[in-house]
Amino acid sequence: MKTVSFKTLGCRLNQYETDALVTQFHQAGYQVVEGGKGTDIAVINTCTVTNQSDHKSRTTINHAIRNNPGGLVVVTGCMANNHKERLEANEKITYVVDNERKSQIVTLVDAHLKGEVVHPENLSGDVFGFETVDKSLHTRTSIKVQDGCDNFCTYCIVPSVRGRAVSRPLKQITENVRKVLENGFKEIVITGVNIGRYAYQGFTIEDVIEEILELPEDFRVRISSLEPDGFGPDFHRLFQHPKMAPHLHLCLQSGSDPILLKMRRMYTVRSFMEIIETFRKQMPDFNFTTDVIVGFPGESEEDFRQTVSIVEEARFTHVHTFRYSRRKGTRADRMEGQLPEKLKTERGEVIRRISENNRMAYMKSMLGESQRVLIEKVDRDGEAHGYGEHYLPVVFESGSMITNRFQEVGLHDVIESDPPVLKGSVIRQDRS
Amino acid sequence: MNVQVENSLFVTEKVRILTPSAYVLRFSRNDMEFSPGQHLVLGLPGSDELREYSIYSGAGDPYLEVLIKEVDEGMVSRQLRYLRPGGKIEVKGPHGFFMGNATSSKPHRLYFIASGTGIAPFHSFVKSHPGSDYQLIHGIRTIDEAYDAADYDQERLVTCTSRDNRGSFEGRLTDYLRETEIDPEGMFYLCGNSQMIYDAMEILLQQGIPDRQLFTEVYF
Repeated sequence: MKTVSFKTLGCRLNQYETDALVTQFHQAGYQVVEGGKGTDIAVINTCTVTNQSDHKSRTTINHAIRNNPGGLVVVTGCMANNHKERLEANEKITYVVDNERKSQIVTLVDAHLKGEVVHPENLSGDVFGFETVDKSLHTRTSIKVQDGCDNFCTYCIVPSVRGRAVSRPLKQITENVRKVLENGFKEIVITGVNIGRYAYQGFTIEDVIEEILELPEDFRVRISSLEPDGFGPDFHRLFQHPKMAPHLHLCLQSGSDPILLKMRRMYTVRSFMEIIETFRKQMPDFNFTTDVIVGFPGESEEDFRQTVSIVEEARFTHVHTFRYSRRKGTRADRMEGQLPEKLKTERGEVIRRISENNRMAYMKSMLGESQRVLIEKVDRDGEAHGYGEHYLPVVFESGSMITNRFQEVGLHDVIESDPPVLKGSVIRQDRS
Repeated sequence: MNVQVENSLFVTEKVRILTPSAYVLRFSRNDMEFSPGQHLVLGLPGSDELREYSIYSGAGDPYLEVLIKEVDEGMVSRQLRYLRPGGKIEVKGPHGFFMGNATSSKPHRLYFIASGTGIAPFHSFVKSHPGSDYQLIHGIRTIDEAYDAADYDQERLVTCTSRDNRGSFEGRLTDYLRETEIDPEGMFYLCGNSQMIYDAMEILLQQGIPDRQLFTEVYF
């Protein structure tokens, strides 16, 4: 049996696509191995969103080449789109497969092993052509509803590497959800590059979510990440549904209006905060996380101070902080006022500390409350680990619990580890 | 849904000089469909240097046009000026959502607020929807920069000139906004440099216009 290993960099969408490839290879009779040394096939699903991502992707590719002498090395993902010619010039890489054809990698490898010569560009492109992820991998799975982005934020390379926004037919989405629920998944994550831009035959992202919530099984729904301009004024009402997890990763990027304009973001700080307030009016303990870019060209001390202020005010429990990274071909790359890396690092550190404080305060505010935890694993000490509906990690004595089950857990402590974890105990047997 | 034409070569029809530093580049339509407010990314074929320009022509015109300001240090804006009829251009797009909801905002008045060549998407909109209820407020230095002013209903056009007194309002467009009564139910579309947009938004927000009625497209 041929062996195959995978390495994934970057976003949740990339992770989902790797999981789907793992399933496809497994179903095609390959043995999927972890670690990736000496395998017959090594697949590297790359990222190119920042210089750091490029560096990590290059390093991972080089490791795969060194660790798999004589094996096939397949490079895919956003770096394969952004630096295609450079990668193709590397003779040690067998195939460079762009995002459009990523779902066809099994076909490509099969053909290669049969001695057929197939150029990746001759494969058909289908960004939604991935197999339903097998339950053995995780307790939650992503449902890809959309790909690509047309926003053209001035710092972002994604429209160039993921292409124009395309939406998956609604019927395909609900079929996919039905299938993963039949497979036993209890939690699905609606994902895409810019899911707020979902538009298919007049249906919006709200329609997609409503359709999914109509399904009768016991499961819950998360949204992977969302742009603040990507939904209508009644979006928050969807979260009144018991299947909707009360958590959103709502991308802020900056707390300064002049910087948001220069980023070509299509909202103001005030309109962003109105969204937060609307949600918290409905659910005071709603959990928000976000993305912030520090050190965007021209970001002054005052601009940064405003970002700090918003991160504090919005009480984000996690801030994915990016140091602004110049990407060739983007408008921001040509802007004046590029800032030194040292300053970006310092600003990133300030945001990180605030978000940690926010997270600890939020976790402490949950003590005495209960969470419906989806058990992801039970360790050797008999402790069950999982996430509650607010997307906080919870650990509790499992008894005879098994994974992939919901469990109502009372929270009574915060373990101040890195990252911190809520400690709880079973308050009711959940039969789901 | 728009027909999307990617990475295609288009053919120059003509370059129409408006001022010593501004011109309109007209080129083949190649069946491209677009909505007013969308922009194209263009440059010379094979070049890595491409720039974004809002579409200036109307949705019904048999050609595409963009309004270009030649930038002193600019590369692409200078190259494109010297294109001859028949010359090839690489064009990507159309992109953007800037005025996507403008046609559905009836019965509310549309306010188009532009600085300099930021008038381009509004020119496209007015040519595409000539019967619209709009007011165009154009901030320019001198009246010479009132590009193709005759194409607009003169009663709906306010030229705010900051360096001469030949406009319909002498001063910056932000001064005009502060001094003018506006329809609080109106929809406001702002296009131009980021400082103008930021200042104008501040004024409109202070006047009680909610964020949801403001739409921006920044030029750099």
